[in-house]
Amino acid sequence: MNALVQLENVTKRYDSGVAPAVADVSLAVGPGEAVAIMGPSGSGKSTLLNLIAGMDRPTSGTVRVGDQRVEKLSETGVARFRRRQVGMIFQFFNLLDDMTVLDNVLLPAQLAGLRSGAARKRAEELLVTLRIAHRRDAYPARLSGGERQRVAIARALVNRPAVLLADEPTGAVDSATGEEIGALLLELNSSGQTLIMVTHNAELADRYTHRVIELADGRVASDLAARP
Amino acid sequence: MSAVIHAARGGLGGRRLQAVIIGLVALAATAASTLALGMLVDSHSPFDHAFAAQHGAHVTAAVDTSVATSAQLAATTRLPGVTASAGPFATVSVTAKVSQPGIPGTRPYPLQIVGRPSAGGPVDQLTLDSGHWARGNGQIVLSRDVAGDLGSATITVGSQKLTVVGIANSVTNTAQAWVAPSEAALLGGSGRGQAQMLYRFANAGTSSAIAADIAAVRAALPHGALQDTASYLSVRQSEQSDIAPWVPFIIAFGVIALVISVFIVVNVVSGAVIAGTTRIGVLKSIGFTPAQVVASYVLLVAVPALVGCVAGAVCGNLLAIPLLKQNAQVYEVGVLGIPYWVDVAVPLAVLALTAAGAVPPALRAGRMSAVQAIATGRAPRPRHGYLAHRMLARLTSAPRAVTLGLAAPAARPARTLVTAAAIVFGAAAVTFGVGLAHSLDKAFAETSTASSLPVQVSAPPPAPPAGAPSSKGGGKVGPMGMTAAQQRTVISALAAQPGTRRYLPETDEDLSLPGLGDHVSVTAYGADPSWSGLALITGRWYSTSSNAPEVVVNTLFLTDTGTSVGSTYTVNSGGHRTTVRIVGEVFQPGNDVDIYMSPATLAAVDPGAGIQSYAVALQPGTNAQAYANALSAALGNSYSVETHSRGGTELVAVVTLIAMLTILIMIVAGLGVLNTVALQIRERAHDIGVFKAIGMTPRQTLTMIVCSVGLVGLVAGIVAVPAGVYLHHGVIPTMAHAANSGIPPSLLSVYTPWTIILLALSGLVIAVVGALGPAAWAARTRTAFALRAE
Repeated sequence: MNALVQLENVTKRYDSGVAPAVADVSLAVGPGEAVAIMGPSGSGKSTLLNLIAGMDRPTSGTVRVGDQRVEKLSETGVARFRRRQVGMIFQFFNLLDDMTVLDNVLLPAQLAGLRSGAARKRAEELLVTLRIAHRRDAYPARLSGGERQRVAIARALVNRPAVLLADEPTGAVDSATGEEIGALLLELNSSGQTLIMVTHNAELADRYTHRVIELADGRVASDLAARP
Repeated sequence: MSAVIHAARGGLGGRRLQAVIIGLVALAATAASTLALGMLVDSHSPFDHAFAAQHGAHVTAAVDTSVATSAQLAATTRLPGVTASAGPFATVSVTAKVSQPGIPGTRPYPLQIVGRPSAGGPVDQLTLDSGHWARGNGQIVLSRDVAGDLGSATITVGSQKLTVVGIANSVTNTAQAWVAPSEAALLGGSGRGQAQMLYRFANAGTSSAIAADIAAVRAALPHGALQDTASYLSVRQSEQSDIAPWVPFIIAFGVIALVISVFIVVNVVSGAVIAGTTRIGVLKSIGFTPAQVVASYVLLVAVPALVGCVAGAVCGNLLAIPLLKQNAQVYEVGVLGIPYWVDVAVPLAVLALTAAGAVPPALRAGRMSAVQAIATGRAPRPRHGYLAHRMLARLTSAPRAVTLGLAAPAARPARTLVTAAAIVFGAAAVTFGVGLAHSLDKAFAETSTASSLPVQVSAPPPAPPAGAPSSKGGGKVGPMGMTAAQQRTVISALAAQPGTRRYLPETDEDLSLPGLGDHVSVTAYGADPSWSGLALITGRWYSTSSNAPEVVVNTLFLTDTGTSVGSTYTVNSGGHRTTVRIVGEVFQPGNDVDIYMSPATLAAVDPGAGIQSYAVALQPGTNAQAYANALSAALGNSYSVETHSRGGTELVAVVTLIAMLTILIMIVAGLGVLNTVALQIRERAHDIGVFKAIGMTPRQTLTMIVCSVGLVGLVAGIVAVPAGVYLHHGVIPTMAHAANSGIPPSLLSVYTPWTIILLALSGLVIAVVGALGPAAWAARTRTAFALRAE
């Protein structure tokens, strides 16, 4: 299998003299895989996700996504990489309050310089797919938690990223909505979307991903196929 | 209390940028206001200090002692309203023969000499600069002005040889020289008796009060006894006008800086309080009362503001030193400085202003519940600007980073307005400063012949024969004219010299005219006077072909004589008189009265005046210095060939001051923008992190942030241009008025269309430059760091 995401001996240390947030992690994720990264608070899950997305830089080691060495990219290069290769979903949605649902979803496409018509068509499709087309002109403050996260997913997918990175996507919603979001992610993965998801929720990890990587103190404690 | 101080100290540590901006803005506001107010106060104080110290004369009266008796003169000192008096002091007007070391022969010098027993007295206590008072016959004390002219000269009046024994100064210039009363009697000979009376009055604050005082004295004396009077107010205005022209623009810049600073302080303080909402919530949750929260927050702002105010007061005083030093020396009033009350009042006012900006938002935060403040998680997001974002998102022809930036000002409309106002004032200062510099450049060009007549040729006057009459014109000072042979030599050399365009024969005389003083500058051009390049305010140049003698005069002449263009005036000097028509008002500001007339008109009042020099206009492209060198070589050592450059160091100094003040104000306005952008970035740090997370490049981040103030800057710049032009058109006439002059229209016509377009962009420049620093920082910030920001 050719890995879509490959980390080799990745270490991230925020301050010298304290333990690294991520320590000598090596892992590979293939195309179409759905991987859950689990672990207690402070185990380095979110840091690992940030390193894959190029939002932070490793102290040492290499991060490869597709054919790009993420840690070697400039700030501009890494921004362009994120536009095309990565879609990010956050625990607290990180929608822009002063923009409508449609404008939130359109934004990455517009920043990427996609033609206006094509971007709009893609955004409208995603809103329909994610069942929030009826809220296209609403502002995030008017949406429920589930709706917000679906908008965030639409925004993450608008540029057709190679990999979808989700940081605790169900952490800020109730359990029913969490189920709904999980099912949606599974559906996306079923259609071929590579997914790497950080979660505390073991049940979610087992039900909606193929593989669970456990981190402890910044190190990979286990890397197992999800329980069926 | 210590908890409040600790909380404020902790807050300061966490908001260094805001603290620095508060400090810098308070510094700039205090410095500019201290300088402006101090200059305004001190522009009136040097003369007043000296006048009070010397018990100066409110009125100096010339009386005819052959008409008024001593008893009648003494009676005037007891008139109601007269608080002090001195005199009568015998006065003689003579033409002395002056010989100076190193200069062969003697030259005539008109002197008004007063016989006084001492330098002191109840009125006009003279300051002795050096030497001692005249103790007997043969001794003379010169006034400071005359001593500066004559140096260590030997003075002879008639057969009396006078030794200079001292140099003294009268604040109202009551005489050019003083001798003992017995000497004055000797010098006066058998002529008609003239004397000087000096008065101080209870009511002497205004011209009308002085006029009433003079009328009372006149009425108490026989008709014709009171020949002439001089008011201290005229001297006061004349003395002050040296610095007065510069005061209006310094004040204008100071006020602009103060207003900008007010806007910035309000923005900084309210922004800092809003940004600290979460922290306030935490303080309340651990037991701070609302009052303690408010106190800690006001302290948070007041400490850097206090430091800035103190530093600003020091800077304002330091900036004022060179400007006030000269006045202090001239008036011998010790060290002139910014008045203490200004040093106290201005920092207190700026501090109060800062506190006034801090208290309302701090009170608002104090009233907020702890839970509400903490739950906010960051500065409360405004509910404005949604529509702007929505509309601009549809503007697909522009890059998204640009439309995102353009929508940002709508999020905080009040802050945007205040920032725009600061930029308007900054850009208006630029418009004003550029116009001012151009106007002054024109003023220096149009009050000097150096631009149009850059080369001047003269020849030393022939030594007067021994025993020749001391003065032909009675009040003439300076060299005699060239001989006919010298004139022919110069004319042929000019004709032969390549590069000569045309030349203007010139005669410069100082005449003593009644009511106008001893040094009325008269210039006669022997050809078309418009070649001089001097600007006319109204009217036209005199015609040399007219039968009726015509003159052109400066504004001070019109003011002092109460005439106007079109009036007639009788020039009466040294026994010669001619009536002339005033046909033009020339732009010659300053304390000197200037008259321009044809050589024929001058000959009527000064028959001996001859051509003294030739002012030469050059063909375009001719190098003045090379021309002068060549002409000098052709004429030989007997002739002097000089080049004149206009303005010189004074223009450079003033333009440098204008540039410094303009740049200072631009920096202050830029600091305002920096503060706004820093607050915006702080408040939107998380959003910026989101933008970056979804693919915004550093360049796009920079573009977005710069655009967020760029449009505001552009609009502010466009608004600022008419404001700056309006200010310019108000200040230039005020400056000219302070210099005893009107202005030619050309002084206001300094803004070309291109200049206006460029000046309109100054607001954009201020905004972009102010935004670049924080924008670059935001662009460089790592995405993960920005996302973690609260």
